[in-house]
Amino acid sequence: MSIMEYNGGSVIAMVGKECVAIASDLRLGNQALGISSNFQKIFQMTDRIFLGLPGLATDVTTLKETFRFRVNMYTIKEERELEPETFAHMVSSALYERRFGPYFIEPVMCGLQKTHDGSYKPFIAATDLIGCLNFAKDFVVAGTASSKLFGVAEGLWEPDLEPEDLFETCAQTLLNAVDRDAYSGWGAEVYVLTKDKVIKRTLKGRMD
Amino acid sequence: MDISFALTGKGYVILASDTTAARSIVKMKVDEDKIKVLSPHLLMAYSGEPGDTVQFAEYIERNIRLYQIRNTYALRPPSAASWIRRTLADSLRSRKPYAVNLLIGGYDTSTHQPHLYWVDYLGTMSEVPFAAHGYGAYFALSLLDREDGLMSGSSYHDPEAPLEEGLKTLRRCLDEVAKRLVVTPEKYKVKVVDKDGVREIEI
Amino acid sequence: MNSFLTRYSSTTPEADIRKAKELYGEDEDFSEVMWGSTGGFGNLASGVPMFKLPSVQDPSSFLRMHTDDHADPSCRIKIKHGTTTLAFRFQGGVIVAVDSRATAGSYVASGTVKKVIEINPYLLGTMAGGAADCQYWETYLGIQCRLHELRNRERISVAAASKYLSNLVYSYKGMGLSMGTMICGWDKTGPAIFYVDSDGTRLKGDLFSVGSGSTFAYGVLDQGYRWDLTDEEAQELGRRSIYAAGHRDAFSGNTVNLYHVKQDGWKFIGNYDVSELHYNGPGDVPGATGGGYGYDIRVAGRTSTNAPEGEAGEGQA
Repeated sequence: MSIMEYNGGSVIAMVGKECVAIASDLRLGNQALGISSNFQKIFQMTDRIFLGLPGLATDVTTLKETFRFRVNMYTIKEERELEPETFAHMVSSALYERRFGPYFIEPVMCGLQKTHDGSYKPFIAATDLIGCLNFAKDFVVAGTASSKLFGVAEGLWEPDLEPEDLFETCAQTLLNAVDRDAYSGWGAEVYVLTKDKVIKRTLKGRMD
Repeated sequence: MDISFALTGKGYVILASDTTAARSIVKMKVDEDKIKVLSPHLLMAYSGEPGDTVQFAEYIERNIRLYQIRNTYALRPPSAASWIRRTLADSLRSRKPYAVNLLIGGYDTSTHQPHLYWVDYLGTMSEVPFAAHGYGAYFALSLLDREDGLMSGSSYHDPEAPLEEGLKTLRRCLDEVAKRLVVTPEKYKVKVVDKDGVREIEI
Repeated sequence: MNSFLTRYSSTTPEADIRKAKELYGEDEDFSEVMWGSTGGFGNLASGVPMFKLPSVQDPSSFLRMHTDDHADPSCRIKIKHGTTTLAFRFQGGVIVAVDSRATAGSYVASGTVKKVIEINPYLLGTMAGGAADCQYWETYLGIQCRLHELRNRERISVAAASKYLSNLVYSYKGMGLSMGTMICGWDKTGPAIFYVDSDGTRLKGDLFSVGSGSTFAYGVLDQGYRWDLTDEEAQELGRRSIYAAGHRDAFSGNTVNLYHVKQDGWKFIGNYDVSELHYNGPGDVPGATGGGYGYDIRVAGRTSTNAPEGEAGEGQA
């Protein structure tokens, strides 16, 4: 039994044209036993940052609370909004602080980064459980279905997808990948972040 | 192995826990109360490692009480559950973690909403309409998922069920466990929390 | 005595021929006439099947070391398992229902496994544990049942068939076979179910469920089971029980296969997608109460909130 597979769950984030998407399943399990089909793993950190936390469920809740606290403290002290890239480093160092007794989480984050000319640039990143940052240009995955997510995403993703197309690509990638994973599934949710709105959709997934 | 069940209904939460305290292969006690009353509208069923259970439950009980004394009002169920979860999660990464599984049931007098939380010893928490800990979960959860069938004749889990109906549903779970589980507890303690507060029910 | 010596000597020409035969996979006691006429039955054609064993000190512990993923999750060979199967006897015959998921570790290797093995028109076997073990030995059982029929001019009883299988797997005890099966059928005595597993256990009974999701199936099955169920009710109960297991157990699911055994043999009732059952129910089939099986679906719009309007003038608001 692997501790990363104890509760199950998976997250994927993708880059589109001036937009990003992040999706996760909704299962909370106790190994093979399904406990809840309503366990969120994606959290909105600021207006322009989303964080996905697949892994050990107790750490999902703990880290959600930790990052809410740290983001708030940053915003108050700095009197400005936190940028996605800064947040990625915040996540990385928070995890490395527990280098010798890690949180069993592999965070996936996405956001829109403000550029010098005032426009927004899509941003995605993921880290391992002790905070090694991985900035990708296309998509990042994590969780018990990560190997399956990689396979489907490699086949479906293409550059410069419009928000609706990105939603479809992200949703189909997740849905089809988790169907091949015993520990992920039980419904899903997708967030698409564009410069002027957030689209949240809850998906009907296979319930077995 | 301890067994506990909980389920919500129209304006109430029922908690049930077996009453055996075992050591090795011996039953040391058969009328142990493993459901604590934390505040006027909050219950907590606890099970797990002997020693840890009572120590942890009493620590929680006293601190919830302290909050009430300091602030003149009690914590509402979501906040109380959140704090209890955090206590367990922090304990998990201490030198000697508490190995205690919890079912927290409460009635929020401001929103008139019953709340039930499933919490395990790692600090995993989930709000659910019905829950179980121990081997009972493997038999009862599928039963509670079930809809009213033609052949069932009576109800399974319904969020709008009145208390009598809810107790009947609980009875079904206890019967199923008694039928299938190799070692079964003979007695359960059942407590209910609703708008009128907490009370014990004979089943 | 001399022939005995040559048989076990390693320097004689006979020994060389024997080694060559071994190298080409030929059975020692197999006549030349049979060569090429095994009819696709492999070594079964010689009567009792023989198995090659790995040339190590203790073949069974060697196998266990490399396949048992409970002891060692990182082992190379992951044998497929994780299942829910059930069978029950009632007034109208026997209901057999199974799921169709095969997992290797957390990977869903297949969602379309046939876990009911049609031994002959009157006998069904279910599959839990090692997929290959069940498939092979229940097919083999089918051959033996047919031979029994030809020899004795009457069909084999369910009791005899299951006893045959039980004795057979018992002779391999400790070698790593893994089967949990129910042999179901109709014979002179009426409907019958026998639970047979690779430990050598053989139980006659009215209601069994086997596999990782069996407890969930029992939960629904026990509460809905009566002897005098109608055919439609019984089929619905079987279907609903496998759904329950498919829903809660990570290693069960995908689809439900439903069979009904009556006096004139078994009949395949249908294949139902678990997710479809969750959201929409089995559709317009006998015994279904309509609507999706899923908890969230059936309680949609219902709330446990106790709004004060409903409780006007009673207690504190």
